[in-house]
Amino acid sequence: MTRRAGVIALAILLAVLAAGFVYLHLLTRRAKLEAPQHGEEVARTQLREAALQSPTGPTQNITLYFPSDDEGLLVPETRQITWATNDTDRIHQVLLALIDGSYQGLRRPLPPSTELRAAFLSSDGTAYLDFSSSALALFTPGIQSETLAVYSIVNSLAANIPSVKKVRILVQGQEVETLNGHADLGEDYAPDPTRNKPGS
Amino acid sequence: MAKLLLRRTRTLLILIPIIILVIIFWQARPLRSDNFVFYLPNASHVVPVQAIGHANYVPLLQVLNIVGKVQGLTAARDSLKVWVEDNQIEVRQDDKKVRIMKKNIKLSDPVRVDNGQWMVPLNFIEAVLPKIIREPVVYRLGSRRAFIGDVRPSSFSFRLDPIPNGSRLTLQFTNKVNIRTASRNGKWVIYLGEKPVQPLEQKFNFQDAYLANIQFDDQDGMPKLILTPSSDGLNFYPKLDDSGRTLMADMVKPAAAVAQQLPPVQAPPTPGAAVPPSIAPGAAAPAAPAGPALPVVVLDAGHGAEDSGARGENGVLEKDIVAQLVARVRNALLATNKYRIVLTRVGDVNPSLDQRAATANGARPEVFITFHAGNLGIRAPRIVVYTYQPPSSPTPSADDRSPGIFIPWATAQLSQLARSQQFAQALQEKFASLSGVTVSPPAVAPMRVLRSVNAPAVAVELGSLTTDVDSSPLTNPNFQEEISNAIVQALDDFKGRQT
Repeated sequence: MTRRAGVIALAILLAVLAAGFVYLHLLTRRAKLEAPQHGEEVARTQLREAALQSPTGPTQNITLYFPSDDEGLLVPETRQITWATNDTDRIHQVLLALIDGSYQGLRRPLPPSTELRAAFLSSDGTAYLDFSSSALALFTPGIQSETLAVYSIVNSLAANIPSVKKVRILVQGQEVETLNGHADLGEDYAPDPTRNKPGS
Repeated sequence: MAKLLLRRTRTLLILIPIIILVIIFWQARPLRSDNFVFYLPNASHVVPVQAIGHANYVPLLQVLNIVGKVQGLTAARDSLKVWVEDNQIEVRQDDKKVRIMKKNIKLSDPVRVDNGQWMVPLNFIEAVLPKIIREPVVYRLGSRRAFIGDVRPSSFSFRLDPIPNGSRLTLQFTNKVNIRTASRNGKWVIYLGEKPVQPLEQKFNFQDAYLANIQFDDQDGMPKLILTPSSDGLNFYPKLDDSGRTLMADMVKPAAAVAQQLPPVQAPPTPGAAVPPSIAPGAAAPAAPAGPALPVVVLDAGHGAEDSGARGENGVLEKDIVAQLVARVRNALLATNKYRIVLTRVGDVNPSLDQRAATANGARPEVFITFHAGNLGIRAPRIVVYTYQPPSSPTPSADDRSPGIFIPWATAQLSQLARSQQFAQALQEKFASLSGVTVSPPAVAPMRVLRSVNAPAVAVELGSLTTDVDSSPLTNPNFQEEISNAIVQALDDFKGRQT
């Protein structure tokens, strides 16, 4: 009888240990899944704060172009924002709005954790955008996804800031070969209106 | 009688050693041996490759001595510890695992001990060496050579053109070479100097009436080309131009032989000599030489090595899908006997985008196709064919299309855009006839790899390969076969439209 009780006690102990392991495993998995959501939340908050910090100016409707992977086109979406007074700040505002994401559930052209390290506008109308390298690592690779992402930025900037004629994308202050293996970043990009969904 | 017997025995005693010596020294130096060559910046080293079971092995200590400084070793009965530079490597007999500084790396085959020598499979070179030495290691899977450190191997492209009563072989090298030629066992050998050479193709496929085979060999540490003529008695005139980069070798029938051949009596090929497929046995002698070398198709499987590209829901990687697809397309094209195929990458390596374009331009291809897989939305499977779009001017001007004498590397594709678009159209039409596949109209994209290709060039993207869409159709062999066959048909159509 005592021996039987011992066996039962051992079985219960093993079962408790196994359950503990499963629970721990589930917890770590959940933590892993939750991590990006947390990061996204922080990024969104930072973006909104940055937008709020922009100087008070006229309210303006701006058009943002978001990638639609199904159609292979950019779909416009309008936003009402408090427009900054100078073009460099406006570039920041447009990019922050793009990073903030679409209200129609379209894909973000840039990952939520993207950090725009700096933006310059040269006298010939070329906007230089310097992104952090962490943004590049999170990019969805693909010919279409990268092409749409780049033109989402270029067309959105050119549509709202007339002085932006071309866009040059840099990463960590350096010129890079491609966005993530496909789209050429070795040249300036001119806006391409044919990428925008017609009739919208 | 006894005297006669004695004399015969004496003759035999003299003859037997001579015969033995002839047998020993006849073909004493084979043209190919089974070795692995390590090229270092100022030297090359050869280690023997030994087959054990189904795999090929190289001696571990010899390899480590070549690539790094072995500082010490401890050998036990069934394990060996070696200190190389600042790393400790531990291997165990009959175990696939190699332990480097407390981390395990699994080899393709177990480590063996043969005649007291520790042997590791060839896969060790690719899997372990880059982790224990500081210098970069370049090793193309399947080849028998590795480049350690700052070694820039030269490469070459080749073409065959018909000339009166012969063929002209033109070899274009990327770097200057010193050549020396020799004739051995009825074959011509072109030694390409001491510097390392990495051929673009593992095997050269062509059809020619005068040249049966070209083989690259550097198994003894001396890069060379071995040419097998299709019959005996041909003359061989190699000549290197002043730049040291272009070798022209004429293979011609001697004038007397040509005169004898009229009326048509062709000297039969020597027994054992390879007969090219273009000459059927008993056929009339080729009054005109066979047609030019086969047109080249360059296939580029995107990404490779540490660059996996896009990732599917079950951990499927873009680099693997496109490599599979390229292998199928290659087989489908070779089966037609109409094309020669050049691959920009063989195995899991990642040449730079410029290297891929250089491989393509060196081969002077009929077309260049790069394969990718990525996010194409929820309608899977879907195929999109792209041609190049310059980022700065989405619609290239007429100036861009007239390149002049020199073709700028950065914009080489601009002069080919019209033909690239024709080929994309032909591909799209054939893909559209496949059932169960969504095919979009040909699109344009600022694809970096297409930018410098000086030939009709397209990118084929399969989709969707993302973590939230079922990517299983893309890995389906039937689907890949259908795509391969469609590409073969599209290429025929495209060539038909060109002529």
